[in-house]
Amino acid sequence: MKKMTGFFVLLAACFLIISLISLSWGQIDIPFKNILAMFCHELHLPFFADVLFTPEQQAVLYYIRMPRTFVGLLVGAGLGASGAVMQGIFSNPLADPGIIGVSSGASVGAVIAIALGFTEISMLYMPLFAFCGSLFAVTLTVLLAMRHGRIPVMTLLLSGVVVGMLLGALTSGILTMMNEQKMQQYLFWTIGGLDYRRWEHVLLAVGPICGGITIMLLMARHLNILVLGDVEAKAVGMKVMPFRLFLLTMASMITATGVCVSGNIGFVGLVVPHMMRMLVGPDHRRLLPASIIAGGTFLVFCDTIGRIILPPLEIRVGVMTAVIGTPYFLYLLRRTRNLSR
Amino acid sequence: MVTDGVVVKVEDISAGYAKRPVLDKVSFHINKGEMVGLIGPNGAGKSTLLKTMRGFLPLRTGLVEINGRKVQEFTAHDFACQVGYLQQYVEITFGYTTKEIVLAGRYPHLKWWQKENANDWEIVRACMEYTGVWNLADKTMHAISGGQRQRVLLAKVLAQQTPILFLDEPTTGLDVFYQEEIFRLCQNMCQVGKTVMMVVHELALAARFCSRILLVGKGGIIANGTAEEVLTEKNLSRAYGVSVKVVKNPLTGNIEVFTVHADRDISKEQLLYRIAGVNTATNECQGGEQVV
Repeated sequence: MKKMTGFFVLLAACFLIISLISLSWGQIDIPFKNILAMFCHELHLPFFADVLFTPEQQAVLYYIRMPRTFVGLLVGAGLGASGAVMQGIFSNPLADPGIIGVSSGASVGAVIAIALGFTEISMLYMPLFAFCGSLFAVTLTVLLAMRHGRIPVMTLLLSGVVVGMLLGALTSGILTMMNEQKMQQYLFWTIGGLDYRRWEHVLLAVGPICGGITIMLLMARHLNILVLGDVEAKAVGMKVMPFRLFLLTMASMITATGVCVSGNIGFVGLVVPHMMRMLVGPDHRRLLPASIIAGGTFLVFCDTIGRIILPPLEIRVGVMTAVIGTPYFLYLLRRTRNLSR
Repeated sequence: MVTDGVVVKVEDISAGYAKRPVLDKVSFHINKGEMVGLIGPNGAGKSTLLKTMRGFLPLRTGLVEINGRKVQEFTAHDFACQVGYLQQYVEITFGYTTKEIVLAGRYPHLKWWQKENANDWEIVRACMEYTGVWNLADKTMHAISGGQRQRVLLAKVLAQQTPILFLDEPTTGLDVFYQEEIFRLCQNMCQVGKTVMMVVHELALAARFCSRILLVGKGGIIANGTAEEVLTEKNLSRAYGVSVKVVKNPLTGNIEVFTVHADRDISKEQLLYRIAGVNTATNECQGGEQVV
C-alpha cells in the first residue's frame, strides 16, 4: 500500500512539473519563477512578490500557453480514462477508444462540416459535427452487434471494425470531391494538434470530460467485476448489459469530446492504460486514477517535445504521441510477452 | 447430515438452445445439505441444466424453484445471494491477484457505492484459508497452477456466502489428489448445511463423496439416487452408449467403472498404419530411402 502512495505522489509530481514546463517552454521563454509569480499575483498570494514579469509574458501565458496546456491535460486524461474503461469493458488489452468507431465517426462528421463550408462560419461547427459523427458511429456499432438483447463482446469488436471501414470509405469519398484547400483543412484536423487552442476549447471540453471521468471513477469497482466476463459478472449478480452500455457511452462521449477539441490523437488511449496496468495492477480503483493523471501528463509531454524539437516548426501532438508511444509500446510487448498480464 | 426441506425444486423443465432442446421433462428435488453429483456423457446437457437452473439460459417450459421462489421472480442480485455459480472455464484477463478475484465474490453483498470493508476482507481470507490458497493471495492468476486456480475460484464462490452452490466441473483438469480435495471440501461444506450441486466426470469420486447422484443422458434424467442405485452397469451403459462394467474394489470398497473392449477393428488398424506411415505389407517406413 505504501508503494502505491509513493507511486501516486511521483505521478502527481511528474504531472505538475511537465505542466509547468509546457507553460514555460516555447518561442517565448517564460521562466518558472515568472509563471509562479504570475499565479501568485492573480491569486493574491504573498509569494514571489519580488519577481517581475512583463505584460507580454502575461498575455502569452494567459491566451496561448494556458488554454493549450489545459486542453492537453483534459484530452489526455479523458483518453487515458476511456482507454482503460474500453479495455475493461472488452476484457481486451488491445481495445482503445477508436475501436468501436468513435474516431472514424468523428472524421466523417468533420469532413462533412468542411465540405459544406460550415467551418468558415464558426469554429464551433466542426467539433459539433465531429461529436455527432462519433455518436452516430457508436450507436450504429452497438445496434449492429445487438442480438436478442445481448451484445457479445467479439461481435461488438467486429462491428466496430466494420463501421470504421465503412465510415473511412465515406470520408475518403467525400475528400476526393473537395478542393485542395478544404482537403488541407481536413488533413490538418485529422492529425490531432493542440496549437491555437483557446479558452473556448477548454470550456467546450471541461464539462463532458470531467463529468465522464468522475462517473467512471465512481464505477471503478463495478468495472473490476465486468472485466471478469459475462458469466462471472452475472454469477455475482451484476446486470451486465446496462453497465456495459453505460460505460461504453461514457467512454465514447469523452473520446468524442477529445476528438472535437483536438482532432484525432492516437496511442494515448492504448498505451497509457497499458503502461499503468503494469505499474499499479489491473484494479480499476488504482488503474483509472493513474491512467487519468498519466494520460494528461503524457499528452502535454508529447506536445511540449513537439514544440521544442524543431523550432520554429511545431510537430503536431498526434504525430508525437505515435512517435513516442510506438517504441515504448513495442518495448513493453517484448518485455512481457504475455499481453494479458 | 442436515436434511430439512427442499431447497431446489425442478419440475418438468425442458432446457437447451433455441433450435436444439437438450433436455426434456426433467424433474427432481434437492434437499438442504445434500451434495448432488451430476454425471453423464459429454454433451448430455449437464452444464445446460445447471445454467438453466441458475437463469443463464432461458427456461423454455416448466418450473425451477429455489427456496420456495420461482427463479423468474429473482432479481440478478437476489439470485447471486442465493446461489453461487462456478463456471466450467473461467478466463481471467489482465493480471488480477488471487485475492482480488476472491474479493469479487463479495460483490452481491455491497451496495453500488460501498467499498469492501474489513469484514469483507476477513471473509475473503477465511475462504482462501479454507481452500488452502491464502499463501498465494498476492500471486496473479497466471502465476499459479491449475489446481490452485480452481481452489481460488472455489474460494470466490464461497465468499459469496450463498446457501446453495452450483459447480460446473470444478475438478476437470486437476490431478487425482486435487480432485479428491475439492470433493472433500464440498462434502464438508454440505455437512455445515450448504447444498452443493456439481457436474463431475469422475464417477468413482462421485460415488465416494456425493450423497446423491443424478445421471443425465438421452435427453433426460436416467437415474436419480444413491451411488449404489445409480451406478449400475445397465444405467451407465444406457447413458454413455458403450458397454460398461462396474466393479466394487474389495480392498477400498470404492466403485470402479470401465468399458468393455469391443473386438479388434481391422479398418481402424489400417487407418492407423496409414497415419503412422508404415507399410502394412513390409512393416517398413514408406519413403525411408530418401531419408539419410
